[in-house]
Amino acid sequence: MSIDAEMKAALITFTIESLELLQDMEDSLLSLEDGADPTERINSIFRAAHTIKGSSGLFGLDHIVKFTHVVESVLDAVREGKIDVSSDLVAVLLPCCDHIALLIRAVVDGDVEENPDMTTAGDALLAELRPFLEGNPSSPVATVAPTPDRVEASGGGEVETGNWHISLRFGEDSLRNGMDPLSFIRYLTTLGVIVNLTTITNRIPAVAEMDPETNYLGFEIDVKSDAGKEALENVFEFVRADSIIHILPLESAIADYIELIRSLPEDDAYLGELLVKSGVLTKRELEDGLSKQKSDSEASQPAQPIGEILVEQQVVQQPLVTAALEKQKQIKDNKARESQSIRVDAERLDKLIDLIGELVISSAGVNLRALQTTQTALLEATGEMMRLVEEVRDSALQLRMVPIGTTFSRFQRVVRDVSKELGKDINLVITGGDTEVDKSVVEKIGDPLMHLVRNAMDHGIEPAEVRLQNGKPSQGTLRLNAYHESGTIAIEVSDDGGGLNRERILAKAVEKGMVAADAKLTDQEVYALIFEPGFSTAAHISNLSGRGVGMDVVKRNVTDLRGSIEVDSTLGVGTTMRIRLPLTLAIIDGFLVGVGKSSFVIPLDRVVECVELTNDNGNNDYMDLRGEVLPFIRLRNLFCINDQPPRRANVVVVDVAGAKTGLVVDRLLGESQTVIKPLGKLFAHAQGLGGSTILGSGEVALILDVPVLVSSFEHKMQRHALSISA
Amino acid sequence: MAKTILVVDDSASVRQVVSIALKGAGYDVIEGVDGKDALSKLTGQKVHLVISDVNMPNMDGITFVKELKQLPAYKFTPVIMLTTESQESKKQEGQAAGAKAWVVKPFQPAQMLAAVAKLILP
Repeated sequence: MSIDAEMKAALITFTIESLELLQDMEDSLLSLEDGADPTERINSIFRAAHTIKGSSGLFGLDHIVKFTHVVESVLDAVREGKIDVSSDLVAVLLPCCDHIALLIRAVVDGDVEENPDMTTAGDALLAELRPFLEGNPSSPVATVAPTPDRVEASGGGEVETGNWHISLRFGEDSLRNGMDPLSFIRYLTTLGVIVNLTTITNRIPAVAEMDPETNYLGFEIDVKSDAGKEALENVFEFVRADSIIHILPLESAIADYIELIRSLPEDDAYLGELLVKSGVLTKRELEDGLSKQKSDSEASQPAQPIGEILVEQQVVQQPLVTAALEKQKQIKDNKARESQSIRVDAERLDKLIDLIGELVISSAGVNLRALQTTQTALLEATGEMMRLVEEVRDSALQLRMVPIGTTFSRFQRVVRDVSKELGKDINLVITGGDTEVDKSVVEKIGDPLMHLVRNAMDHGIEPAEVRLQNGKPSQGTLRLNAYHESGTIAIEVSDDGGGLNRERILAKAVEKGMVAADAKLTDQEVYALIFEPGFSTAAHISNLSGRGVGMDVVKRNVTDLRGSIEVDSTLGVGTTMRIRLPLTLAIIDGFLVGVGKSSFVIPLDRVVECVELTNDNGNNDYMDLRGEVLPFIRLRNLFCINDQPPRRANVVVVDVAGAKTGLVVDRLLGESQTVIKPLGKLFAHAQGLGGSTILGSGEVALILDVPVLVSSFEHKMQRHALSISA
Repeated sequence: MAKTILVVDDSASVRQVVSIALKGAGYDVIEGVDGKDALSKLTGQKVHLVISDVNMPNMDGITFVKELKQLPAYKFTPVIMLTTESQESKKQEGQAAGAKAWVVKPFQPAQMLAAVAKLILP
């Protein structure tokens, strides 16, 4: 008969036997309450359950093992008198017998796995059994853990060829116990190659005193094996109690293990854990060492370090302990470095930034005075000072920088709650969370982001059925992303929803009289309409958005932060809202220009280049920049400065969202550090001005808000063009 | 000559599966249904290893091992006890009686063979 056929025959034996045992179990259960001494009957009931559990395990019928294990635990408690025999108990155990019988009959029918009905029925029965086990912590209810494979290689396998030295001193009674040393050594060869074996005979007494039944031999064995220390130790598990066994890495392999300890991933680990992880120490050896340490300290001796104990017990060598100690120290040092941060009151920090702003202004004044002299030494000294002030400014601003990740992660909860509310399945993906931005920006960006996120979830991402129809996965994805881009931080909210519908937006805008019916608008211009007050295309108003407030508020909040917002959208693919904000709100690098007697500051990160305005007839508002049309704004006209124009004007080319525009000025005065002072309330309505600053000379200069300046100028020109055509 | 192993268990299916595994590995197998039956099967013939369950009717495994160790012919025969994980005390009783090796129930045939291989040369 083949093994398979034999196993089938054995399985039949198992079912017949089990069903018989269950019948006996049932009979015994029923007769339990008739008053006679039940001990023998309880024993036989227990044995039946025990036998069924044991045999089921052999056939890999884990579900039967699992169920029977609990029944057995209850019966074991009954047997030991911890649970009294009662009609309640019998009433629960009888259906359990029936259930086991059901499971076994299913096996006969070829169902080696449990079906869901059986699981439900089984769980219900187990729930009834549990109360009997409560208060009996000694009876484990836990299901049977699969016995680990005894010859599994542990962590030590990471060293390419584990070379081990095994020192064996078998107990004197080994032979009498039927433990043949030779047999264990032979079994060792199934795990590796024995490179060297020395028999230690010094315990053999004189012939007259020698007992032939006693084992006097010891062995020193060098093994070349890929198996871990744990696996090697398991070879000798049956003789461990009576013998002395030391398994150590070979001297020649110690260097490899030291290397392994050093390369362990860094985390918070105890010395023993490090050694166990590297595979030079087994868990059992560590436990032995720790319990010795404990018993020593209980005996009120000074506690010995675990490393010393382990070396003393010859389970590891000193160099390995030293390496692990070094590693541990390194981990601790890293921890200490990580936690070196100080909490500072935000107010003090703001005060410092203010003072540095003043320092920047006054040092600019000093520099100006120095430039008016011809003292080289003074110029050099002020030059050095300017450089240091700039560094101080940068590091001071750095103090206020915080990662935007904390703001982003708040949205995990928002997205979860809102998607539940909307009945949509939406996944939030966060990237660039470690991008740093000024704390005041982080504080103020939360609300606009909230609007954008809710809007994207409500209007952007379609309901699941629509998504499926359009060939998209039913789960929508919302992305939050942040990155640095030329002196600004860009924050993106993107969805993979339906995208903005250009025609619908335009129709709505025309209906509301925001644009002329025949206006020719670019996509960007159409998308920008959604930020206009009172604009909403949502067919119905939901709890979340669609009331036409929100997007214009977002725009205003962002503008207040000297930022801008733009929209990229593809119909059917998705929408990206991109907010660009200045990195800091306090101090910027500016480009100083002069018009008439006034000075203006253009944020340096907007400036592309400076060119001379040639062939100017005073009426054009565009020029030829290397073959391209460059529209420009005459600041002289814009700010109504009426004194004598210079002979030659200059054009500063600025970049707004990829489009170039020129600003016509009289003089270029060069770079300057600019401390931003807010404008008074009186100037709140002035478009195109972002603030003011004080120059080194004590003069006030206005800071231009380039994007607003350019867009308001464009609108003015369009209205002008419309009025002409009308 | 093949080595002989005595398998003692009250469950016919356990005996059958263990026998299949052991015979497959090249051993001869004698079966006993409980301690008493096993002792009656031992008539002085050479047995290289005994595998015995603990819980059995008539004579349990611990008593069986104690009696076995009294017989001069089997004084040195190694014994593997089949214990369950919840019977730590049984394991210790078994070791005191002279069964120094053990296999935890429920086990797979391969685990049984590994334990056997540690104790006797093929």
